[in-house]
Amino acid sequence: MVVEITRPGKTSLHLSTPVMPAAGTLGFGDNYRRLLDYEKLGAIITNPVTIEAWNPASGARLVPLPGGILVHTGLPNPGLKRVIQQYRQTWEKLPIPVLLHLVGTGAPHIKQAGEMLDGLDVIAGIELGLDDDLDEDQAFTLVSAAAAIEKPLLVRLPFYEAYQLAPAVLEAGADALVVSAAPRGTARDEHSGRLVRGRIYGPLVKPMVLRMVGRLRRQVPEDIPIIGAGGIHSPQDARDYLEAGAVAVQVDTATWAQPKMLERIARDLGGWIATRRKDALMDEWHPDMSQTEAAQRGGRSGRIG
Amino acid sequence: MRDTQAYIERIRRVSRDYQRLELAVDKSLSSMLAGQAVLARRIEKDYEIQHWNPYLRELWFPVEILNSNIIVVERPAALSYQPGQLLSLLGPIGKPFKFRRKLRNILLIVYDTPPTSLLLMLPALLSNDASVTMALMGTARQYDTSHLPEEIEIVQAEDDLSWQDMVMTLGWADQVFVAVGPSNELKNFADVMRLVRQRRNDVPANYIFGVFQKQLPCAVGACYVCMLRSKDGSKLQCIDGPAFDLTSLRLEN
Repeated sequence: MVVEITRPGKTSLHLSTPVMPAAGTLGFGDNYRRLLDYEKLGAIITNPVTIEAWNPASGARLVPLPGGILVHTGLPNPGLKRVIQQYRQTWEKLPIPVLLHLVGTGAPHIKQAGEMLDGLDVIAGIELGLDDDLDEDQAFTLVSAAAAIEKPLLVRLPFYEAYQLAPAVLEAGADALVVSAAPRGTARDEHSGRLVRGRIYGPLVKPMVLRMVGRLRRQVPEDIPIIGAGGIHSPQDARDYLEAGAVAVQVDTATWAQPKMLERIARDLGGWIATRRKDALMDEWHPDMSQTEAAQRGGRSGRIG
Repeated sequence: MRDTQAYIERIRRVSRDYQRLELAVDKSLSSMLAGQAVLARRIEKDYEIQHWNPYLRELWFPVEILNSNIIVVERPAALSYQPGQLLSLLGPIGKPFKFRRKLRNILLIVYDTPPTSLLLMLPALLSNDASVTMALMGTARQYDTSHLPEEIEIVQAEDDLSWQDMVMTLGWADQVFVAVGPSNELKNFADVMRLVRQRRNDVPANYIFGVFQKQLPCAVGACYVCMLRSKDGSKLQCIDGPAFDLTSLRLEN
């Protein structure tokens, strides 16, 4: 299986499976190496990176919600230069393409990032994250700067402004749209009693983003791939996005709650199957592909399609 | 770190407020040491997740390891568990506590939280003839200690968080471990440090350790929710912790 997740052209990006982790969920490198088979994923998207180092947010960073969570980390990262120094070797060893998530902090920063990334072959593409408060002109400027980098460019649209910004983002040269960033929200932290602002994750996000993907699919030109991202917690959730018009999906915090779910979704959409051994005991079978996977016990596994 | 299945083999009520669950676990978890934990979530028949509430896994510190495949955790009695209940466990998480060589006297300070995260160290310490004092502060004073080993000296702090002979206790202690409630951990640790500094002239490095019990979303160092700032740069509770030298952390929030 080969999936083209950017518009056709000199720098188009092809993946073997239409499933990726969303930025911010799998770390910068191979943090999940003991829990996931990276080969089954289409690509890895790094945690968000800025040119300058960013410190973690102070105060509460996690608020449990009914059936979800609100997260506010402040996007801590050591800055692009150090991220490259620290993780380059890890990326080179990964069996799948690495896409770097760049936080859209300003056109000069993007230009600076471009100078560091242009000759860096281990980075297969860039995902640019746009802030919720941007207007069309600002988005156009940022994406234009990122499009000048000689790499496939995915642009992650902000949840609340996705429809408004999409035309400007495409006009500026985005190769694909990621729909969308997790919605922003506010919730009270029961420990501190304070209101915390952050991004909301959980299965309830999916119906909202799924509708957005469907509408944008009808709105934007057919050759612009859309990658669905939001609330995916099962293979069926991912399939729903494909049915709505996405060419690929990004799985976010479901990986934290049940790490093997990401691999399971990737196997499902990538055409991999694992058969359960006929005489397997209950605790020898794990639908989320734990260490008791049938294939490892002599059962048959294979790839279809 | 592995993702394994377990089930509740036995449930024992140990006090008015707490019960202990004996979990039959994968062998990889039976070698856990004091300080290490697992992320647990209940799973249903056929090992599927039926609902996502609560969304994240719970952080469980074992309080005893009985044999090669039974670990014991302590949970509030108000929560309902059933023998045979299936669990998905991620672990072991974190690094074991580092104890000083020739440790003779150890002080455990427990503030607004049950002492669960500190209990696994007790059998080894007591069998090595170490003296253990546990000071209960704030709501931790309500914790019923009758099921803990008799050799442990239990001290109840006053409302101002001090206790009689506090200066002497801190002076004798070769090492101190502090566990605080999840409501603003950094501030609570800062409160404890202030108390200690008021009563002890010199607080050396590697003397007092804070044990962080923040809820962990990923536990593999990917999400950065548990990131702490120290004099040596950023640290992650799930990878570098859960115990950190409190003299090295930046406790201001």
